[in-house]
Amino acid sequence: MLTPAEVRATLPHRYPMLLVDRVLDLTEDRIRAVKAVTLNEPWYARLGEHPAPDELAYPDFLLIESWTQTAGILAKRLAGGAADGQVMLFGSMSGIEFHRRAFPGDTVEHHARLQRAVDDTMIFEGESTVGGEPLMTMGGITMAFRPGEALAPPSS
Amino acid sequence: MTSPVLAVPRPVRELAHDEGSGAWTAGFTVEVTADEPVFAGHYPDFPIFPGVCVMECVRRAAESARPPLTEGLRLAAVESTRFTAAVHPGDELTVEVTWSPRGEGWRCAAKVATANGRTASVRLRYAPEATAC
Repeated sequence: MLTPAEVRATLPHRYPMLLVDRVLDLTEDRIRAVKAVTLNEPWYARLGEHPAPDELAYPDFLLIESWTQTAGILAKRLAGGAADGQVMLFGSMSGIEFHRRAFPGDTVEHHARLQRAVDDTMIFEGESTVGGEPLMTMGGITMAFRPGEALAPPSS
Repeated sequence: MTSPVLAVPRPVRELAHDEGSGAWTAGFTVEVTADEPVFAGHYPDFPIFPGVCVMECVRRAAESARPPLTEGLRLAAVESTRFTAAVHPGDELTVEVTWSPRGEGWRCAAKVATANGRTASVRLRYAPEATAC
């Protein structure tokens, strides 16, 4: 439903932090997207010559980032023109559980749904899988669009 | 595990046990320099240290000073996390970590601040590795 080019046009993230490859489904209240994990990602560059198998596990918190970018694509669609020129801010997260690890060669599938929207804040939930097996549960993430100045360093 | 963050947490207060509560606390600082590789893409011309990297700093700090009996445990959940201010290149994070036993596992709660005040609070849960069936 969204090609890699469209994903790239939708998200402000770039290498090495653009962690969604393709969107498979996108409707009014849910999204399904994939992220392919490869050994060529920079996180593996500093491993020694003979790493233990566990050391090749994809960083857990980057799976969260990848999932939130997926939810961000849905959020942008829901916000429409109201999001133009604004930045996406994730304010809080809760109930995130890790069920297994992802490794190079895995294709992670993210599922995100709009749980509810209150004023200009959206709450998303969902899960991630690898080969149909549960990888991660996302209990709830709050997100809002804000002017870029909200993120600027305090002037000194 | 590999890490998206280069900075290594520096201990400033050693792990200490509170007999009353059973909790263990420790303090760290983390220098977030412009050399962090994530800044290249988060975002170009607008570098913000990603929230998940703040969480990663907490995790690395916490795991560098584990209380006794937590060695075999691994990260099982992020119970909650809240971001209140952005972190920029050049910021120094102070990370205050509290480990408390919770059932079969442990909770690891952390408060993170920069010179400008609180930037995040994070609660992680560590549990025994699930037995393969």
